[in-house]
Amino acid sequence: MGEPPANGIRIRLFAGLREQAGWAEQQWPLNAASEPPLTPQQLWEALQLPGPLSSVRIAINQQFSRADAPLNPGDELAFLPPISGG
Amino acid sequence: MRLRIALHNEAFEPLDDLARWHAELQAQSHPRSAAESLFIGRVRGETADGSALAALELEHYPGMTERQLEQLAQDCGTRHGVRSCLIQHRIGRVLPGEAIVLVAIGADRRGPAQRCCQELLEALKHDAPFWKKEWHRDGSSSWITGNTPF
Repeated sequence: MGEPPANGIRIRLFAGLREQAGWAEQQWPLNAASEPPLTPQQLWEALQLPGPLSSVRIAINQQFSRADAPLNPGDELAFLPPISGG
Repeated sequence: MRLRIALHNEAFEPLDDLARWHAELQAQSHPRSAAESLFIGRVRGETADGSALAALELEHYPGMTERQLEQLAQDCGTRHGVRSCLIQHRIGRVLPGEAIVLVAIGADRRGPAQRCCQELLEALKHDAPFWKKEWHRDGSSSWITGNTPF
């Protein structure tokens, strides 16, 4: 997929989480910053992703972030299963 | 600090890359470091459960992985006052015996060089978005959900 539209949130999954969920990325419509703000935790639950949210790390715009961080239109949100580099 | 980070999607030879890095530093009039610490990680021939490994598959998060490696290297290098840092990391399918990672730290003293090398390696194992999948000889596969013991 190309660049996300500025009014949506691009949601990305990786590795085992992607395989469990059966998809790599989705667009979540968000036309304007909502009040109260939409959070990664809410999207994890709305998308019915597998397992507890505490088992993954969250990145917003490719920076580690928190489950209750506010999301804005145009953001890229990623759920990252346990890392195993090196 | 001179810094170079590269992700390779094909096999690389760590000592050849290190020689090229040294030549490049020298060409930039960067004096050779009095102390240098290296770590080379290679793929084991066995899986986590002890069976024979066919290959490891390394997935990463394009963009975030490079950015995170750079941030970790800058933070660690600054903390230890080192002079140079080279990180080479494989992505894609890696065979037993092939190198996965090279970290090379140049400094004025062995203490900062060794401490920075060890600390940066542990940081990238835990905080740079890479994922390993083990491919078994029978064609099955499984994701590794943690790091090998220190």
